[in-house]
Amino acid sequence: MAALSAFQAWMSDFAEVIGQNAEHLTDLDRAIGDGDHGSNMTRGTSKTAALAEAEEFDNSAAYLKKVGMTLVSNVGGASGPLFGTFFLRLGGALGDAEDIDAATFGKALHAGVGGVLARGKAEVGDKTMFDAWSPALEAYDAAVTDGGDLQAALQAAVDGAKQGRDATVDLVARKGRASYLGERSKGHQDPGATSTVLLLESALRTLA
Amino acid sequence: MIGIVLVSHSHALGHAAAALASEMVSADAAPVIEVAAGLDETTFGTDAAAISEAISRADDASQGAGVLVLLDLGSAILSTEMALEFVDPDIADRVKLTSAPLVEGLIAAVVTASTGADLATVASEAMNGALAKSDHLGDVETSAAQGDSAPESTSSSGSGETGSLVVVVDIPHGLHARPAARLVAAVNQLRPTTVSMTNATTGKGPVSGGSLSAVTTLGALEGHGVRFDITAEAPDAIDRAKQALQALADEGFGDRPTDKPETQQSASTEVAAKPRQMGSGIGIALGPALRRREAPDLNAYEASGDSTHELERLQAAIDEARSGLGTLIEHTTEQVGESEAAVFFAHQALLDDPALVEASQEAVVEGGSAANAWHSTVFKVACGFESLADPYQRERGQDVRSVMHRVERALLQIPETDNSEAEGILVVDELDPAIASTLDPAKITGVVSLQGGATGHGAIIAKSRGVPVVTGAGERAEVKTGTLLGIIERTNEIFVDPDESEQERLRDLMAARSESRAQADAAALEPAVTTDGRRVLVEANVTDVDEAESAVKQGAEGSGLVRTEVVWEGNAKAPSVDEQFAVFADLARAMPDHSITVRTWDIGADKPMPFFPQTPEANPFLGVRGVRAFRADPTLLVDQLDAVCRVARQIGPVRVMFPMVSTRAEVDWVLGLLDEAAQRSGDGRPDGLEVGIMVEVPAAALTASQLAEGLDFVSIGTNDLTQYVMAAERGNGALGELGDVLHPAVLRMIGMVANDVPDGVRVAVCGASASDPDIAAILVGLGVTELSATAASVAEVKAKIRQHSCPELQDLAHSAMQSASADEVRELLV
Repeated sequence: MAALSAFQAWMSDFAEVIGQNAEHLTDLDRAIGDGDHGSNMTRGTSKTAALAEAEEFDNSAAYLKKVGMTLVSNVGGASGPLFGTFFLRLGGALGDAEDIDAATFGKALHAGVGGVLARGKAEVGDKTMFDAWSPALEAYDAAVTDGGDLQAALQAAVDGAKQGRDATVDLVARKGRASYLGERSKGHQDPGATSTVLLLESALRTLA
Repeated sequence: MIGIVLVSHSHALGHAAAALASEMVSADAAPVIEVAAGLDETTFGTDAAAISEAISRADDASQGAGVLVLLDLGSAILSTEMALEFVDPDIADRVKLTSAPLVEGLIAAVVTASTGADLATVASEAMNGALAKSDHLGDVETSAAQGDSAPESTSSSGSGETGSLVVVVDIPHGLHARPAARLVAAVNQLRPTTVSMTNATTGKGPVSGGSLSAVTTLGALEGHGVRFDITAEAPDAIDRAKQALQALADEGFGDRPTDKPETQQSASTEVAAKPRQMGSGIGIALGPALRRREAPDLNAYEASGDSTHELERLQAAIDEARSGLGTLIEHTTEQVGESEAAVFFAHQALLDDPALVEASQEAVVEGGSAANAWHSTVFKVACGFESLADPYQRERGQDVRSVMHRVERALLQIPETDNSEAEGILVVDELDPAIASTLDPAKITGVVSLQGGATGHGAIIAKSRGVPVVTGAGERAEVKTGTLLGIIERTNEIFVDPDESEQERLRDLMAARSESRAQADAAALEPAVTTDGRRVLVEANVTDVDEAESAVKQGAEGSGLVRTEVVWEGNAKAPSVDEQFAVFADLARAMPDHSITVRTWDIGADKPMPFFPQTPEANPFLGVRGVRAFRADPTLLVDQLDAVCRVARQIGPVRVMFPMVSTRAEVDWVLGLLDEAAQRSGDGRPDGLEVGIMVEVPAAALTASQLAEGLDFVSIGTNDLTQYVMAAERGNGALGELGDVLHPAVLRMIGMVANDVPDGVRVAVCGASASDPDIAAILVGLGVTELSATAASVAEVKAKIRQHSCPELQDLAHSAMQSASADEVRELLV
């Protein structure tokens, strides 16, 4: 795949999906947080979608890093530094690679999710976006090991992320604003895990 | 001055908090506060890029002194951590993020920073910012008690028997750490019977009798009633428990004072009195660095994510810490002394404390990693101690922290540096009394303390043991074990990895100092007489019998200063006349053929005493301290004078002196009290009693001719005189260079006192300056005839005096008084 244009398409698709789901994300966040996930993500992703028109990028690494910084400065909530770190590390790991296959993207995905982990210091079961990222990564790796191409691997990642997202419903939050609710956070799906699924679904549509 | 960055989701909150805190200090003393809050004025959120810019601006304004970042929650934390990755790594090294509460922490940080305090100090004050509030509301101890009530409620389930017993605490310090440790051990031996405790006098509690930290929070002082509520499976178990507890109470929980009055200090500082092994005493050292980090970086801990595994790791780390302390106890007992090892027994007891261990285990079960669960639990307990009213118990917070770090090192598999074997110069974050009193001066030839000042408790102990200490060397934090270090205590200099010529210079300096030290020691017991025959009395400042005996062996000709407020430091209750008589009599006997000088209570300012509560003052050093404290009610002062008069009649010569005198009216008032006391113990002032005043207040120095009339001596307290002459508070690090005894203004004032006192009135100096041979030489030149130094420096002060004639010293003093600055005076001394 020709990386840069594909990534730009990814971001533009993601912004669109976020816009469509903004209300849903905000509702999820209102139940267990401060009710701003939808509007925060809309603000951030609309800025990233506009990047491609505003300036030229030499390679996908430069573009993805700019995406990361844009999210960091415009989302506002914890998702800003978390998704921001994801894209900064993703871009850093891709370097100037232009031909991206399942293995290359897998390595970058690991770097990005590693960034999310280091930034949020979350563990599986804390009811955070990491609960979607972790099974997504495992499924992606398994698909690559089985000889799957980028499409197969991303499909696996989406399926894994969805399972992880759904599992957050029964969890008690131990990180983030929702952790202040304790037991009362049970019964609600985590908004960060939800937008993670949206991001991976968007990747499947645009990158593979 | 350090800079401060405030990170918040809300623009309004951030800026309002900054404004609120800025109110606390005058605009010209205020630190820079950079606010990174909100995405814009109305949108909540945080922006790592904006935070990194705020940090860079604050760093710029602070000129490298460091930046403290206070933050609210959630993304503020993530964004700030991210911002640190954006700034220059050199800047990031100077930045500290704190979990201190935003508003209280900011106010504490701004106030502390405005004094010029360093980053670590400001951070620690910020962290304690909410203590006043928790102390007022009293909700911190309650939660500690809840933490360990769980094991009790479970073990007393079913149809248990109950019983209760009330005892009165009749030991001088109340149930402090040592007796509490005995009690906790006894309670835990009674298991499965459980005991909860309530302070029946104050109503505090109930808390678990099986938890050391919980028991000490009861604040059970001497005379308080303590109720034990016992739960057991059978009536005879209740009776057995009652008998055991009653027996323990009857024997004073193992803490009954022996017939010999003990110096009432904390376990760790008692050690200072008995320097069994002495260091070089030359104030210079050259050797490999031994870097000891107390607090490991918990971010390096890799959690397994599995709580069973984390529980195992925590237990293993606690076990390792316990065995490490066992080794330390053996070494310390063998090489330093048994009483010095006692502090580590207390540390071991903390490792069995349910409030620490079980509460941490619960936090692991709730999903924390072993490192985080342990740290947050134990940190809270330490803060609980630090919020207590009693200074003795407050100090125990340091013990809890020490244990906390030891277990954390074990969790991170950081090997314990075995200082008992290694040789070299110890580099520590902060030299606490426990480290200072247990280091082996035969192997540790010097100490570099990265935080804290030269007058910190640990530094004083190390110096009194003859181990040179340089302090406040924060920028040397990266010194690694094995790097060659040279240190010179007097100039507070450090040489990192010195080249050949520097090493040579240090070795020469050491050889010369050792040589002169050896010569001085050989003549320590000889009097100090100038080459033209003037005798100068060189005495030592002492606080207990061991110190007095050791001082005499080192050549001290009596004591020019017994700090009574230090002797009874940490006492909950004022000592009786009998107790004071016993202590003074022992001191006088320990210095036969000489005299001791009892300074009456110097309470107030930096020396609060639990038994003498004072209202807080805006300017304590200009407030009710010294004899001023007894204007309204002189009872404590009168008791002390009664004890001194009895010593003079029954034991031998003794001097008494009054601190913080400013006017002749005060002199007449205290002399009146003394005469009344003398009348009570006999007929008129006893022969062996001499009377003097301290000269610390400029007013007293300027009118010494009037104030000293009819007295036997005046004694100049150079530390206080300096701070009052220079208007530079002693504890204020930012004014360090102003508060210099060698400033010509201070020297002129001392010279004036020596010149003005009526004939026959002796002029003494007690205080740090008398311990420095070179400064002592100037003092003698100014007309001072008695010097009271630290015991370790007596021999060298004497040797210095013997080298010169009076006219030479007078010339030196004259030149010093005519100099333009303290630095110029220092050049005269080279």
